[in-house]
Amino acid sequence: MKFGIFHELSVGKPWHPRSEYEVYHNALEQVELADRLGFDQTWAVEHHFLEEYSHCSSPEVFLAAAAARTQRIRLCHGVAMVLPPFNHPARCAERAAALDIISNGRLEFGTGRSATWTELGGFRCDPDLTKEMWDEAVRAIPKMWTQDRFSWDGKYFSMPERPILPKPVQKPHPPLWVAVSSPETAIQAAERGIGCLGVSIGTPREYQKRVEDYRRVIKNCDPVGEFVNDQVNGVTFLYVDETDEEAQLWGTKLAYTFAYLAAHLVGIGSVYPTPAYKTPGLLFALRSGTQEKAPGGGGALREGMAVGSPETVIKQLKLWEELGVDRMVFIINTAEVIPQERVLRSLRLFAEHVMPALDLDAREAQRAAPSAGSLAETTMP
Amino acid sequence: MPDQGRLTEQRIPHTSPAIAPLYPPPPWKLPGVRVVKLMYETDVEPLLAWLPPKLTRSSPPYAVITIAELPETPIGPFSLAAQYLGCRAGFFIRALTLQAVTDSSMAMTALREVWGYPCRLGTVGLASHGPLKTATVGEGGAPLAALEITGAEPIEGDLVRFDPVLNLRVFPSLEEGKRHDLVQMVQIDPDYAVQTARRGKGTVEFPASGAESPWAVLPVRNIISATYCEMDTELPLARFVMPY
Repeated sequence: MKFGIFHELSVGKPWHPRSEYEVYHNALEQVELADRLGFDQTWAVEHHFLEEYSHCSSPEVFLAAAAARTQRIRLCHGVAMVLPPFNHPARCAERAAALDIISNGRLEFGTGRSATWTELGGFRCDPDLTKEMWDEAVRAIPKMWTQDRFSWDGKYFSMPERPILPKPVQKPHPPLWVAVSSPETAIQAAERGIGCLGVSIGTPREYQKRVEDYRRVIKNCDPVGEFVNDQVNGVTFLYVDETDEEAQLWGTKLAYTFAYLAAHLVGIGSVYPTPAYKTPGLLFALRSGTQEKAPGGGGALREGMAVGSPETVIKQLKLWEELGVDRMVFIINTAEVIPQERVLRSLRLFAEHVMPALDLDAREAQRAAPSAGSLAETTMP
Repeated sequence: MPDQGRLTEQRIPHTSPAIAPLYPPPPWKLPGVRVVKLMYETDVEPLLAWLPPKLTRSSPPYAVITIAELPETPIGPFSLAAQYLGCRAGFFIRALTLQAVTDSSMAMTALREVWGYPCRLGTVGLASHGPLKTATVGEGGAPLAALEITGAEPIEGDLVRFDPVLNLRVFPSLEEGKRHDLVQMVQIDPDYAVQTARRGKGTVEFPASGAESPWAVLPVRNIISATYCEMDTELPLARFVMPY
C-alpha cells in the first residue's frame, strides 16, 4: 500500500491579510516533508468560490511550486475541473503538460465536474450536463497530449486543428483519474480505464462495493487514454500522535472543522433538482456521516480514519488494505486548526512507525537508513 | 397546613387554547398540495440581518419562496406563501421563515400559535397551465411577490427536496415596554411524497413591498431553480430546537 497527502487549502475566518499566504506556505512545507518521508503522491484540488473550505483555485500554480521543492513525490491534480465553462479542455491539457515537464514526469491528472451550486452557478454551468461535459473532455484530453495536431467537433466544445503544446514528458501521457463520490462514478471510471480517486471519506465498508465494482468492470474497459490506469485511492483524515487520546483530540478537531466548512457550501442536490446529481457527493456524504455519529454537532471519528497512535492507525489502514485499495491519501489539516508543527510531527510519526508496516518499499528504505529514528523529535507548541 | 388546590393540567379551563383550540391539533395531513418553489441567490448583508446568531449562512447566500395551495386541511382549504432564509443550523441545512401570508384567518392563527409562522392575512394565488405556472402574493390590496415558471418540464419527484423549516415562536410579554417574554426556535420536519414535479425557468418580481411585509428585503441576484410539485404532505407537531 502507498500513501499520499491531499490539500484543499482551507482558510478559516477570521481572515487577516496573510491568512492565505500562511496556508499556502504551510502546505508547501508539508509537501516538501512528505516527499522526503516517502509519501508517493500529493494531491491539490481545484475549487472556485468555496470561501473558507477551499482557496485552491489554481492548483497548477501550487503544484508547480511543489515540483520545484521536491524530487520524487508525484504531483496530482485532484481534481482539475475539465468542464468547458470552467476550463477549456485544451487549457487543461496544456497546463498539465507543462507541469509534467517541469516536474520531470511526475504528474497524475485527476478530473472532475464539481458538486456545488457555488461553483457551477458561478460559471453558469448547467448541472444537467456536467457528466456529459466531463465525458467529452476526458476523451479529448489524452488525444491532445498524443496527437501532433488536434481538432474536435463535440457537443460541448469544438476547435479547428491546432497543435496542442507542450507535450507531456510521460509517454504516452500522464495517468488519468476521476474523483469518485458515488457508486455510478466508480463504474464509469472503470469503463473508461481511469483511476478511481475515492473522495467520499466514508468507511472501508461503505467503499467495499465500489472497489469490487471498479475491479470487475475495468477488466473489460474501453480506455479513453492510451493505457489503463487500474488504481484505487481512498481519502481520509490523518493525525498520528504518541497516544490515542492526544491524537483523537486533534483528529476530532480536524474532522469536525472539515465537515463544518463543507456544510456551508451549497450542494447541487439541495437546491437544484437534477438526475445528474442523485447522490450527494463528497461534501454532503460527509455531512450525513457526521449526523449519524454526532447528533449534537460533528467531528465524529469513523472507522477507517487514520487518527490515533501508530498502532491504531496501522489497524485502521489494514481495513483499507484488505479491500484492495492501492493507496490512501490523507487530509492532514484544515483551516490550520492543527498547528503546523504538529502536522509535520504527525507526518514524521506516520513515516517512521506506520508506513513501514504497510508499504514494502518504505520498509526496505528504512532498513537501509536506520538513523531515521529521530524523525519524530519535534517540540510541540 | 392550609389545603392546597388540586387542579391538574388536564382540567385547565376550557378557555385555554391548548385544551379548546380553535383548530385541531397537529399533525395536519395535507393531501393534494400544489406548490411552486423558487430558490434564488441573494445578498449577504440582508440575509445576515434577519438570521439569528445561532444560525449561519451558506455560500452563496440564498432565499426560498414557496407558494402553496392546500385544498384539504383540517380547517378547510387555504393557501400559504412563505419566504425563507436558506441557512445552516450547525451542520444541517435549514429554511428559516422570514415572512408568510395566508388567505385564511383560521390558518393564520394556527400557523402563528402552533408552528410559529410569522404569518399575515393576505391573498395568495396559484395557476397552472401546462408548462406555465404563475403564483402571486398580496396584502391589503398590494401585490408583494409574483412568480412565474416557464417551460416547466417533468422531473422525478424524489429529486425535489423541502428542507426542515425553522420558526421563532414569540409570546406577548406581560412586562411594560418588553416586546416578548420568550423566543423559542422550533423546527418543522414534514414528511412529503411528491407525485408529480416539473422544473422550469423561474422569475420573481416584488412589485410593491409594504413596510411591514418587505419581500424585497432579500433581493434576487441569481435564480437557482424553479419547480412546481403536486404532493401529499403534513404539518407535524413542531419540535423545540433551541432558545433564541
